[in-house]
Amino acid sequence: MEVYRSEPPARRTTDRIKVGIADFAVGDDESRLSTSGLGSCVGIALYDERAGVAGLAHAMLPGGEGKDDVAKYVDTVVPALIAKMESEGASGRRLRAKLAGGSTMFEFDSTDRSVGDRNVAAAHETLAEFDIPIDAEDVGGDHGRSLELDGSTGDLHVRSASVGEHTI
Amino acid sequence: MNLDVHALRTFSQLAHSGAEKAAWSLSQLTGIETLVNVTKVELGTAADVECEFREHDFVSVRIGFSGGIDGRTILAFDRDGAQDVVEAIMPGVEAGDELATSGLKEVGNIMLGGFIDGWADHLDTSIDITTPTYLDVDSDGPLDDFSMGDDPQQEDDHVLVFRNQLETVGKPVTFYLYMVPTAGAVETIVDTATDSEEALPIETFTAFSEMIAEGAEQASADISAMTGTEAVVDVSRLSFVPIEGVPMQIADTTRVGVVLEFTGIPSGYIAILFDESSSERIASALLPGSDAGEAMRQSAIQEIGNIITSGFLDGWANRLETTIEISTPRFVHDLGPAIIDPLATELAQTQDYAFLIDSTIRTNTDEFTCDIYALPNQVELRKALDQLTAQPV
Repeated sequence: MEVYRSEPPARRTTDRIKVGIADFAVGDDESRLSTSGLGSCVGIALYDERAGVAGLAHAMLPGGEGKDDVAKYVDTVVPALIAKMESEGASGRRLRAKLAGGSTMFEFDSTDRSVGDRNVAAAHETLAEFDIPIDAEDVGGDHGRSLELDGSTGDLHVRSASVGEHTI
Repeated sequence: MNLDVHALRTFSQLAHSGAEKAAWSLSQLTGIETLVNVTKVELGTAADVECEFREHDFVSVRIGFSGGIDGRTILAFDRDGAQDVVEAIMPGVEAGDELATSGLKEVGNIMLGGFIDGWADHLDTSIDITTPTYLDVDSDGPLDDFSMGDDPQQEDDHVLVFRNQLETVGKPVTFYLYMVPTAGAVETIVDTATDSEEALPIETFTAFSEMIAEGAEQASADISAMTGTEAVVDVSRLSFVPIEGVPMQIADTTRVGVVLEFTGIPSGYIAILFDESSSERIASALLPGSDAGEAMRQSAIQEIGNIITSGFLDGWANRLETTIEISTPRFVHDLGPAIIDPLATELAQTQDYAFLIDSTIRTNTDEFTCDIYALPNQVELRKALDQLTAQPV
């Protein structure tokens, strides 16, 4: 299976797929998709076990109506990720989700409501719209996280500096 | 020469798509899957660029280009990265021997050729490239014999540098693709992108860049005074980056430091980060002889964060004839990109690109290294830049 990227297709030579910020990628049951440095950003992992298709998105902000950068916003990246996974053989009805991130690392005087909280709320809302159940989540708090999604199991490994590493 | 945010965005997008072509070319040639991590448009001096190459011990390949636009482009690897690339295209060949050198030149030729093609496509022009020159520590600097305009290049002349950080997916190798256009080339590209009403003379950006450098010098002097260890400013840079690129350029390691918010003209966020061992040493330097607990160490780091921020920003306030208020420093001990991510995200709600100010201060003895990242809000930064433009040079 080819790995989706917005840039020209690269010849795939590794099963490790790096997902940037405001980015998403889809892999198969041999892939390990990773993304680092989630603070208030939210990571959305989708998995179709039967098809062996896994997808991971790293979104910065909750809503992006009218914006062209679909990967930056929760409400636009979820449908884009689903569409890409379906084109790789996944079924929207079989998809299950895991969430991580959306922390409130700092409370700034200039902000009304934590972007982290809003990101998590937007992820719940958008996944509900597509009837995708959330199997597990590790969200909120005041620490950062790095993620790795195992395409063979759907396990989401969450690493943080203060809390250590665990799997959801 | 005038610049504005629209022109900088165009530059950034052009450089990014050019870098993607270059990454794709490398993947085709070597099978090493490569991604473009961050694209930055930087305003620096020729001396900064030369210094960066010396300090990183880069192995690099330089190519000149001319035609539709003129300038110079350089592909730089750290030494291990260069060896990995050589190994991929010519298994068994040792770095440094002639075959390896010609292999790297070929890689440079293909990647930089791809990069320049991207620009030529966009500008709908043709650009010729020279044969590649291999540069090692002992040879010429990357910008030797390069000049922005008609006059010979001076050390402190400002250059616009497009700096792309690329990363391989398997074994992590980071390398950089630089492009330094001549002033004429910048004008050509700017003409296609600038909204003249909003454009500011490049001297304004230069003045701002100098103001940042002075702030870093003051912060460094304050650290020296506080810790009793001579500290120097290693890097001081002003760059223009897509907002998501701000956290992405930071290494995924655990950092200790403080985050502050500043308000006034301009307002924004500052993070002052140490690696863990640096933070231990700096806390010990500030708390000599005492067996300080964690709480005392935290407050020592907060205190130094306060001092550095004041040193860094006071000069801005004087120069801009404004007041800049600083919030209480919040202590942070977390993954580097995760610390910067919420700051970038705050700005991302109102802007797609950011001016990133980054400075590194370190001691000569490598006792500690401190990174300062400042992210001004674009609207207020604009007011600050207008203020600078209005000042007599």
